[in-house]
Amino acid sequence: MSELHWMTVGAAARAIAAKELSPVDLTKALLDRIDTLDPRLNAFIRVDGEAAMAAALAAETEAQSGRLRGPLHGVPVGIKDIIDVAGLPTTCHSKVLQDNMASADAVCVEKLRGAGAIVLGKLSTHEFAIGGPSFDLPWPPARNPWNTDHHPGGSSSGSGSGVAAGLFPMALGTDTGGSVRNPASCCGIVGLKPTYGLVSRRGVFPLSFTLDHVGPMTRTVADNALMLEAIAGHDPLDPGSAAASQGHYAAALDRGIRGLRVGFVRHFHEIDTPAHPEVTAALEHVARSLQVEGAEVRDIKLPSLGEFGAVNRVILQSEAWSIHGPWLGERPGDYGKLGRQRLMAGAFMSAGDYMLASRRRLQMIAEVEAAFREVDVLLCASSMDPACRIEDTAEVERTYPRQARTPFNVTGHPALAMMAGLSVGGLPVSVQFVGRYFDEATVFQVARAWERVAGTDKKHPPIV
Amino acid sequence: MDKETIEVLAKRAGLAKALTDFPEDVRVAATQAADVAQKIRRPADPKAEPWPPMKAGTTL
Repeated sequence: MSELHWMTVGAAARAIAAKELSPVDLTKALLDRIDTLDPRLNAFIRVDGEAAMAAALAAETEAQSGRLRGPLHGVPVGIKDIIDVAGLPTTCHSKVLQDNMASADAVCVEKLRGAGAIVLGKLSTHEFAIGGPSFDLPWPPARNPWNTDHHPGGSSSGSGSGVAAGLFPMALGTDTGGSVRNPASCCGIVGLKPTYGLVSRRGVFPLSFTLDHVGPMTRTVADNALMLEAIAGHDPLDPGSAAASQGHYAAALDRGIRGLRVGFVRHFHEIDTPAHPEVTAALEHVARSLQVEGAEVRDIKLPSLGEFGAVNRVILQSEAWSIHGPWLGERPGDYGKLGRQRLMAGAFMSAGDYMLASRRRLQMIAEVEAAFREVDVLLCASSMDPACRIEDTAEVERTYPRQARTPFNVTGHPALAMMAGLSVGGLPVSVQFVGRYFDEATVFQVARAWERVAGTDKKHPPIV
Repeated sequence: MDKETIEVLAKRAGLAKALTDFPEDVRVAATQAADVAQKIRRPADPKAEPWPPMKAGTTL
C-alpha cells in the first residue's frame, strides 16, 4: 500500500470498504504527520484529534461489519474555519469570533459526515475570508508546502496548504472572489468553485451573500468529483440554493475530450493582466495538449478582467459591510489591519454603486452565456504569477489582484483551478477550466484529460 | 476623496471610533472604494435589470 498520507480519497475509501485499510490507522498516520509538519505550515487553527480518533474507531467498527455510511467512509477531511462544525468554535481566524461556538454542523459538513468522512479539525483562513495574509491575528497565517517562505494563497489557505502537504486528502474551502481556486493554484492541487447555489451555504459565515460558494479541494480531479457528489444538493433553507438536482460528476471523467469545443480566453492573461512568462507558457502548453487529445480550441472574448474585478469588489465589499458594519463601529481594534481596511471599504460605496454593479453583472452573465453557445468549456488563467513570498507585503499587494477568478464569482459558473506545471523556482503555476451552469461533469472531464497528460496528480511538494 | 469627505462619510457610517483609533485604515478603505465604480460600464439601456432578480415564492 502506498504511503498513507499521499493516498487519494478514492483509493482510501476503496481500501477501507475492502477491509484492507483501517480508518484508525489512516487517521492516526495523518494526525502524526500533522504533529510533525503543521508547526511549519500553520494549516490548522484547531486539530480535533480526540474526536477524529473516536470517529475513526466507529468507522472501523462499521466497516468491519460491512456497514458503510457512504462513498467517503473513514476518510479524513479538513474544514475551513468559517464553516460550522458542531462543538467547535467557528473563529473565522479572527479575535472578533474567538469564542463563537457552533451548535450544529453546517449543511456541507453534515453531508460529508453522512458520506462517512471524519473531521480532523478547523483550518486557517484569511480573517473573515478577506483579511490576509496577516500576522496580527490570534493565529499565524498558513504557509505554502512547496516553499514555506511563500504564500499558500487564500483565503482557504489552510485547506490548500494541508491538502498539498498530505495532512489530509480533502478539505472544504469557500470562494467569494477566488478563495478556493487561489490556494489550489498556489499549492498545486485541484480546487472547484461549483455553480452558485449547488452547495448549501447554511452554517457558513458569509462574506458576500450573492458571491459566496463552498467548494471541494483535493489532490486529484476524481477526488474532487467524489467530494462534490457528497456535498451538492438543494437546501430549501438556503435562500441562494438552486433547485437543480445533484449530478453524477464523475460520470465522464475518463471519457476523453475528442470533439469537445474549448474556448481559450487569452485576453485575460495577454492583454488585461499580462501574466508571468512561465504562466503564459504553461497555459499555451495546456491548450496544445488539449488539442492533441482531440479537443477543438478557439479564442473567446469576454468582458475585461478589470471590469469583472470592479463589479466583484463593489458587490463583495458592499455586502460584507452590511455584515461587519456594527462590529467595525464598536470594536475596530479586534480586526487585523488588512481585514479592517478591506471590510470598511464598503462603508464608502453608495447604493448607486451597488446597483450599477448588479445591473452590469446581469449583462456580464449574458456575455459568458453567449460564449457557452459557441464552446463547451472555457480555458483561462487562474493566477498570473507563482506564489510570492508571504512576508513581502508589497509583492502580496501587487500579485493578489493579478488573477482571473473573480469573473466566475460574478457570473456563478463552475470554475476549477489546478496545476499547469512548476515554475523554475519550483512553485506551482496554474490553469482554470470553466463550464456551463451545473455542468461540473464536463469541467471535470477536461481537467482529468489534462491531469492524465501532465501527471499533476503525481506531483507532491518536497516537504517530508 | 478628500479628508473632510472621508470624515463625514465615516461618521455617518458609524466609524467614529475607527476614525479616532485607526485613521490611516479608514483613509485606505475610502481610497479603495473611491474609484472602483468608475471602472464599471454603465448599461446603455435604462431598463437593464440587476442580478439577482426577484423570484417570489421560489424559495423559503
